[in-house]
Amino acid sequence: MLSDLRVRGVEVRRRHRGYFKMEPVPETEDLLKNSHFRNNNMYGDVVSTGAYGVFRQKSFGACDGQNNSLVHTLSSYARAARRLSSGKFGTLFNRKMAASANSSSPWPNSQADYELRDVIGVGATAVVYGAFCTPRQEKCAIKRINLEKWNTSMDELLKEIQAMSSCNHENVVTYYTSFVVNDELWLVLRLLEGGSLLDVIKHKMKVTNCKHGVFDEATIATVLKEVLKGLEYFHSNGQIHRDIKAGNILLGEDGTVQIADFGVSAWLATDRDLSRQPVRHTFVGTPCWMAPEVMEQDHGYDFKADIWSFGITAIEMATGTAPYHKYPPMKVLMLTLQNDPPNIDTGADEKEQYKAYGKTFRKMILDCLQKDPSKRPTATELLKHPFFKKAKDRKYLTQTLVAIGPSMETRVHKASKRQPGASGRLHRTVTGEWVWSEEEEEPEPPESDEDSSLGEDHRPMNELQRADSSGSDNEEEPYKDVKVFDSCPSAKEESPTINLVLRLRNSHRELNDIRFEFVMGKDSAEGIASELIGAGLVDPRDSVPISTNLEKLLDAQNAPVPTTPKAVTFHLNSAGPNEQFDDKTLIGFAQISIID
Amino acid sequence: MPLFGKSQKSPAELVRSLKDAVTALERGDKKAEKAQEDVSKNLVLIKNMLYGTSDAEPQTDIIVAQLAQELYNTNLLLLLIQNLNRIDFEGKKDVAQVFNNVLRRQIGTRSPTVEYICTKPEILFTLMSGYEHQEIASNCGTMLRECARYEALAKIMLYSDDFYNFFRYVEVSTFDIASDAFSTFKELLTRHKMLCAEFLEANYDKVFSHYQRLLNSENYVTRRQSLKLLGELLLDRHNFSIMTRYITNPDNLKLMMNMLKEKSRNIQFEAFHVFKVFVANPNKPKPILDILLRNQDKLVDFLTKFHTDRSEDEQFNDEKAYLIKQIKELKPSEH
Repeated sequence: MLSDLRVRGVEVRRRHRGYFKMEPVPETEDLLKNSHFRNNNMYGDVVSTGAYGVFRQKSFGACDGQNNSLVHTLSSYARAARRLSSGKFGTLFNRKMAASANSSSPWPNSQADYELRDVIGVGATAVVYGAFCTPRQEKCAIKRINLEKWNTSMDELLKEIQAMSSCNHENVVTYYTSFVVNDELWLVLRLLEGGSLLDVIKHKMKVTNCKHGVFDEATIATVLKEVLKGLEYFHSNGQIHRDIKAGNILLGEDGTVQIADFGVSAWLATDRDLSRQPVRHTFVGTPCWMAPEVMEQDHGYDFKADIWSFGITAIEMATGTAPYHKYPPMKVLMLTLQNDPPNIDTGADEKEQYKAYGKTFRKMILDCLQKDPSKRPTATELLKHPFFKKAKDRKYLTQTLVAIGPSMETRVHKASKRQPGASGRLHRTVTGEWVWSEEEEEPEPPESDEDSSLGEDHRPMNELQRADSSGSDNEEEPYKDVKVFDSCPSAKEESPTINLVLRLRNSHRELNDIRFEFVMGKDSAEGIASELIGAGLVDPRDSVPISTNLEKLLDAQNAPVPTTPKAVTFHLNSAGPNEQFDDKTLIGFAQISIID
Repeated sequence: MPLFGKSQKSPAELVRSLKDAVTALERGDKKAEKAQEDVSKNLVLIKNMLYGTSDAEPQTDIIVAQLAQELYNTNLLLLLIQNLNRIDFEGKKDVAQVFNNVLRRQIGTRSPTVEYICTKPEILFTLMSGYEHQEIASNCGTMLRECARYEALAKIMLYSDDFYNFFRYVEVSTFDIASDAFSTFKELLTRHKMLCAEFLEANYDKVFSHYQRLLNSENYVTRRQSLKLLGELLLDRHNFSIMTRYITNPDNLKLMMNMLKEKSRNIQFEAFHVFKVFVANPNKPKPILDILLRNQDKLVDFLTKFHTDRSEDEQFNDEKAYLIKQIKELKPSEH
């Protein structure tokens, strides 16, 4: 992994405090003396004083700097599009090509030509409105992005808008135009009034018994087929969406299904030159829906990452949630990497809970959720899957999805009941650290330099919107968000610190000591293991053995037994099958010890 | 229609049928709809030849060489660009992809398409005028930026009269087009350092009188972007003589001092990076020195309170401290 670790010791700064100090252990060392519970100062003379190198974070590729900055221009739109109260001006959706083909009157670039109506989404840098374009007599959504608060470069913003404007497909959110008003950018988009698929799922789970599944297969096939067509187009354009999930699938009143939120979408290759740059190396997306190769960040990834997320979305439509939705983000990463791919039954409470779903559907999901991306079908291939023969037309969706969509009141209620951690986003801050942002955040006070919509129109829906969407747009205070590596939320009164050493061989089979502190009540075994993996110091496959054994060792310290062990040696998952396992020389084994 | 497999057209046949279709499209007669279809179809075939598909690898070098040669011989690239607005949405993108691929083609160290375009500069001028038309602007921008990577082509564009149209394009009301034009504009002014420096020196007055308009634009984005680019241009060591010229003009200093006080913090910050050059100049001309002296106390006071929350930005704080010190120590010139 980190080849420069081979020669010298390194320090890896931990997220909040302290370091992982890593030092090579000379092979001549009498390993036996360290292997089992021994005296307290057994490491006193072991540590070699190798020069400390500078730890450099592994490069994630050229697009690295963008992660934080592709800050979801459209994300609140995704959550935002929904039913507006006014229905007076019939739905004249001159579908598609509106900006260019409807030459009678193109979408205007003047503020005066738009009447802003309800606020349908609010984030840290943007507010989304339902609006009405007077010259065209047509409804639209307007996203107002405050450019003074947009701290990243304009180039990133442009890339994102170009990603949208270069799409012309009925299953991809329709971009009309954009223009500058004072220090704001106004993005004019098609208004999809049915809200997001996630809204509909949540609502349906609230009002009906969904224990045995949220939607029938026909509905699922119909929606997913539309999503696939959008994905197929997206991919043929040289783009990867990177955040496919129910929350980013929007519904029109007429049953239209569109993929939204280009906030994290990426051009696979600059200028769509498919031959130049085959893979991306950026870590973006939402963990529950994220493909293993995206998590691993080792080999880069391609269009197939979207197919994985698509498979998770299929499960989401059946069960109402992504398979690992109950777990904190880092745990999701571990489960995704270590376990067999999830399926419909992964999150089930009872056996046979979802038996209503048939073989074809399950097989389709299985195809999408193969760990080896090259084995997953392309969007084009997937469209030929027998499951999608069950798909019906748009009108069917108006009956099964749009009509049952949540009313505003229930949306408010629902928002307050959302489980934290169910959905959110892992992203990098300017300092290069990974943080987890909840999508469900405490509402911010409205930043009202604004007119009526925020001021007088203080209906409950506005509250909901803020609660719903401020999180992922909130790049200004990433640290307010839940921290990835802190799985223990609150510190106890006194926090005794324990010094530990993890001794194991790296991928070059050289023996190293990694020293770290464990603060009781603040750290968790799992958190430490994740940090070690995050820092590239241990193999992700060894996360469970390390966290379990660390926990075991620490638990033993709390037990008032005099023979409390000070070290534990255990088998590693990452050891190759051909290894001569040996717990004395720590081949295929690792050891954690407490040093006082 | 062949029943089995696809009839593999030769590059010459493909280019000919595409040319016929585009010509028919240009005439715009009854057959236009059919022509539209043919154009799209043939563009896809050519694109697949160059890029391959999920089922097929790109064609061999020999085929691609033949294709390129046919494109040069028939002047099809120009014809496609001239008729870009008549081609459908996906076809426009295909034109850009085909164009960029052929442009990047190399034989040893030679770039034959670059050489070809040098003899047909009309291609470049047609692309530049694409910014006049909303529906093709971003496609033209994609091709222009690929062209700008080649010094010979960048030079033709920089030294043409059409270059000055960019000062208009970067201000158009549609944000994505204005931004696209700006990124091409920036590419032209920064990509090839020596060429850019020579160009700016030779055309200093004309360029900077135009540039002044951008800095005073009504459009917030234009103002912010152009100010940022100005800072980058002046601080590039290749442009040393342009910088020294710029910082001797008291009007430029006044403009920057006003921009330091703009409402927008982003603009203030960018203005700081231009303003600092005036102050750091060891040989300040008298008019510059006079302005600074006249505002000495106010400037010290202003800078002391300027963006104090940027405590993390060490370089900025060092520079700010340096400026404050410099301004405090300013003395009237001895003459």
